[in-house]
Amino acid sequence: MDLKKLLQKLKDKLNLVANQTELKSVRIEYLGRQGIVNSLFSQIKNHPDPKSFGQELNAFKQAVESLIESHKIKDSPINTPTSPKTSLLAATLAKVGHLHPLTQTERQLNQLFQKLGFSLYEAPDIVTDDYNFDRLNVPADHPARDMQDTLYIQEPKYLLRTQTSTIESYLLETAKKSLPLRAAFAGTVYRNEKVNRSNHFAFRQYQAVVVDKNVTLKDLIGTMDLMFKTLYGSKVIVRYRAKYYPEVEPGIGPDMQCFSCHGQGCPLCKFAGWIEMGGSGMIHPNVLKKAGIDPKKWNGFAFGMGLDRWTMAQNNIQDIRTLMGGNLSYLPYK
Amino acid sequence: MKLIYSHLKHFLPDLSVPPHQLRDDLTLIGHFCNFYEKIGKEIIFDLDIKVNRGDCLGYYGLAKDLSVLYDLKLKNADILPLQTTSTPLPIQVTTDTVTRIQALKITSLKNTSSPTWLKNFLKLHGLHSINPVVDLTNYIMLLYSIPTHAFDTHKSGDHLIWQLNPGYQEFVTLDKSKLTLDKSILMINNPTQALSLSFWGGQNAAIDSQSQEVILEMAIYNPTTVRQNHRLLRSQTEAATRLEKQLDPNLIPLAFSHLVNLVLDICGGQISSQLFDYYPHVKKPLKIDFSPDLVFKISALKVPNTFIKKTLKKLDIHQGLIPTLRPDITNPEGIANEILRFWGYQNIPVNQPLSYKKVTDITPKILYTIDTLKDQLKQLGYDEVLTWPLVSKPSDQNAVQTQNSINSEYTYLRTSLIDTLKLQLDNYRRLKLPQPQFFEIGKIYFKTGSKYSEKYALGLYHHNPQILKNDLRTLGLKSQIENSFAQIILDNLKHPDFYQAKFSPQTPAIELNSQIITLDANLLLDTKVNPQTLLEKYKKIIGPQILWNITITDIYHDQKLGKYRYTFQVNYYNCNDKIAKKTHLSAFNLL
Repeated sequence: MDLKKLLQKLKDKLNLVANQTELKSVRIEYLGRQGIVNSLFSQIKNHPDPKSFGQELNAFKQAVESLIESHKIKDSPINTPTSPKTSLLAATLAKVGHLHPLTQTERQLNQLFQKLGFSLYEAPDIVTDDYNFDRLNVPADHPARDMQDTLYIQEPKYLLRTQTSTIESYLLETAKKSLPLRAAFAGTVYRNEKVNRSNHFAFRQYQAVVVDKNVTLKDLIGTMDLMFKTLYGSKVIVRYRAKYYPEVEPGIGPDMQCFSCHGQGCPLCKFAGWIEMGGSGMIHPNVLKKAGIDPKKWNGFAFGMGLDRWTMAQNNIQDIRTLMGGNLSYLPYK
Repeated sequence: MKLIYSHLKHFLPDLSVPPHQLRDDLTLIGHFCNFYEKIGKEIIFDLDIKVNRGDCLGYYGLAKDLSVLYDLKLKNADILPLQTTSTPLPIQVTTDTVTRIQALKITSLKNTSSPTWLKNFLKLHGLHSINPVVDLTNYIMLLYSIPTHAFDTHKSGDHLIWQLNPGYQEFVTLDKSKLTLDKSILMINNPTQALSLSFWGGQNAAIDSQSQEVILEMAIYNPTTVRQNHRLLRSQTEAATRLEKQLDPNLIPLAFSHLVNLVLDICGGQISSQLFDYYPHVKKPLKIDFSPDLVFKISALKVPNTFIKKTLKKLDIHQGLIPTLRPDITNPEGIANEILRFWGYQNIPVNQPLSYKKVTDITPKILYTIDTLKDQLKQLGYDEVLTWPLVSKPSDQNAVQTQNSINSEYTYLRTSLIDTLKLQLDNYRRLKLPQPQFFEIGKIYFKTGSKYSEKYALGLYHHNPQILKNDLRTLGLKSQIENSFAQIILDNLKHPDFYQAKFSPQTPAIELNSQIITLDANLLLDTKVNPQTLLEKYKKIIGPQILWNITITDIYHDQKLGKYRYTFQVNYYNCNDKIAKKTHLSAFNLL
């Protein structure tokens, strides 16, 4: 079966199409349930090389769809008066474009931090274990490395970053000569997770970092609280508790009172009444030292949080796969 | 980690806080309590213990923390001194991965049935009762977070050897699992048999109800060795979870004496050997120079000196010497953390954020390009999507492959956004989404020689390639268009010096879980009507719950009839065919 010839035949047919009805019959001939494309697909299993034949057919199908779709616009009878009827104008609700809900959340946070004088930042996804672990005070073979299952490119040296703190490693190294430093950044992080409704191998985190003189936990908690109020509204209740992360000392964990049960306990918060919102703390002196920053002169804080769960809750999305390569869409007119 | 309230009170007899307060307080000092529940007369807490607090995988460590928090006295169990004999145990240690071992032999014991309290305790921790000696080893592990083990010496003999695997190929564990060993495995053997792994006992010297003489041992090893061993053998046990963390070898005498006391008490018998105590490098307290001023410097909180002193005393931190129970405290900030977590991080004011300060802007310029493009594409009616960065094998020879992806079909990083946008289009077609028009800005990845590189790319799709071509021209971008897709490498563009991304109230995204249903309708009117008015009218009639989009595809003036015919195309979502048809017929008076 010569797919190129079939495509040319379609082009010839389309050149003769004069109205919607004719176009519809061409569409049915090619793309209908018993049309040419489907009949070709049914032959895949008998083909000597089904894989490459399947790929060719996919490309062919796309080309057919594209040709028919574009023809419809070009030769639409909307603007082609046909006697004895007079065609006027067609109309639709104005098509509106949309930013991904994660981008919208990230921009909300960027705007807040830019108002406080923060730069934005970014760094590579493929990193060395040095930037992902060693510079963050996680020594080789420390059990803390079990906190995340790493997706390796070439174990143990090259990997996909497991947290946005890895971006902090690059940031501290880059900015060590231009202190004080304020920066905020979003990033995709990777874990070796099986993808299902609740888990994904890639998700978005957001992090903010400050290095200055005389930074305190009061600055950290006040700023973090402002961030939560920006995202979740002024009535949000957040508690701050001791938590361990190797890259900070002391480490603080913010928990938000469950917005579903208001602290009473429900399936969403696993009956704890609180939802863990990420991690934070004063940057560990070892992390500063490894970046070439003198911890006797400078100190700082860092905090980070996942964005996916919140974005899902806000958009009533039940399946985490929807956010990336899934069934995410937007109403075209609002 | 499960914690039984009544049992915690063995260490803290004066503890009287209600369970809900204990739950919250444990969480606030760093031991997140998922929930507590009442089982029979007992209240059980379910805790997440962080990796740096191996001591808190036992009641003793948690009780110690709570004794500081509530200013209570910590009570140790009533333990009698061990009445050992002068007979040495012929134990050998041939590896430097052992930190400390204590062991002794007990003979003439009766290992029949465990007392009810012990069975209940283990049951509440999810463990089955086996026999008194085994149950007590588990009990002591849960109390002090130090695993311990017993060997039936009728089976093993007294000559135990701690060694790296001398050549055994296979090991059969207590639960009869067969593990394939390599030379790096730390083992306890006799001269002829493999008896135990560091973190899992074996069949060859298993204790049973007939056991009358046993060697009890308690040991701590190099945590890295245990971690590597259990990961290699893919066997995570309760003992491994503890032994892979830093435990306190100086707690062994207390915990081991408690074990021996309980075995003698419950099973009878007598000690028939010397106490074997292998401890080549005695762990000493770490000295840290700490000034109470650091607490204020870190937190801006004025914590009274009296509180600081009292807390340090309760933590057994005297003159900067950190007790070996707490290897997690390694610097002055660590001590300040101890003061602050007992003072309460919740006492730090939440209403004093940083104020604006001008610092050097280090924003990479490409981020301005990305934000600019996103806003422009949105203006042009494109929807933003994110697709998987992992793909099945791409045609590009320079693709980067991951080594250990669980998702075995998707092991390569994408080299083009178009590949993954095509999958998104397939998804939209399956859902019959009308006239898709979308973009993604994301990274693509390459390997050149031994180096990895990544670039930002913009990928676009428009159902009409001509419009896509025009849009690219509007944006000043050049790209080949193939099957209505285009891709532009953003790293190669000129970047603006600054761009403030537009932020407007969030627009909702939709999780499309069923196909979009498209239905047509003709409306014959006597007079010409503004189509937008008609669209708004029918938009309201159909309602936002199920209306995806509504279009007038054609308007004809039939001069013979003198009427205007409006052809509508309505896309429904969030409903089935039946509801869509019913709504459609009703809305357009077609019933």
